[in-house]
Amino acid sequence: MKRLAQWLARFYPRWWRSRYGEELDALFEDTNVTLLDLFGVVRSALEMRMSTTDSPRLLDMACRDLPHGYELESSVELARDDGSRTLVRYFCREIDLGDSYVTFSHTSRGSAPAETILVCGRKGEVDGDFRTDETEMFVLRGDGTIQRTEQTVKTWLKYQPMVDRMRDKFRSGLSAEDVMRQIRRASDNASWS
Amino acid sequence: MSDPNLLVLASLAEGDKHGYAMMEDIRHFAGFRIGPGTLYGAITRLEQRGWIRPVKSADERRQPYTLTADGRRYLEEQLSGLNQIVRTGLKRLKHA
Repeated sequence: MKRLAQWLARFYPRWWRSRYGEELDALFEDTNVTLLDLFGVVRSALEMRMSTTDSPRLLDMACRDLPHGYELESSVELARDDGSRTLVRYFCREIDLGDSYVTFSHTSRGSAPAETILVCGRKGEVDGDFRTDETEMFVLRGDGTIQRTEQTVKTWLKYQPMVDRMRDKFRSGLSAEDVMRQIRRASDNASWS
Repeated sequence: MSDPNLLVLASLAEGDKHGYAMMEDIRHFAGFRIGPGTLYGAITRLEQRGWIRPVKSADERRQPYTLTADGRRYLEEQLSGLNQIVRTGLKRLKHA
């Protein structure tokens, strides 16, 4: 029965086996495995396969206030189903000048060429919870090309207070783990308050 | 109470334990046995939510876990809710 349980454990996704596989194997050695346990292993393996496998792990994050804005740096690790991991580094600076704003962001993903995005926006008419802005976006790619796009963008006005609240939490001296936990809890509760 | 997440948290509230020790402890205090698959499903979910975390051990294959402050808070909230239900149910049965 133990051998069958060990064989069935191969149905767990690779990311799970690399993290918990040895521990589960040791537990099979320590306990009497029953027929019901075999069903439990299959059910649990299916559950893990259906759960999010590329959930990000926040390694580091820092947020600084600037006159009329802020800048934020973070490092996130993405784990994939095949066990591979990608380090994503992100830097963003956002300045609000009253009737206009500018956002600069730089992202690198693993060994892929980094990408820099510059967005300049002019604030427009407000209608309820939304504002219609005229924006100009420049995407600077690692291969040297620049893509320019002009867009009319609807901005959700409730988004900024949510970002501000999260920034307050980042500033309060929380560790990256604590911040990730808060983000996870906020998304579980579908509320950022 | 048969929620494996709560059973694991309740077991770790007494002190750090590895998988087999949790299974045995749960069997003693809850009166039934949870299987290895169910146990490790709960351990995975609880660790992802930050409610438990692994602690250093000489035997890496028998990894002990400990309750975090968030996990303790969550367990307290859940048990208070259950306690309220139990008290209300018992009171109503008495008056029925």
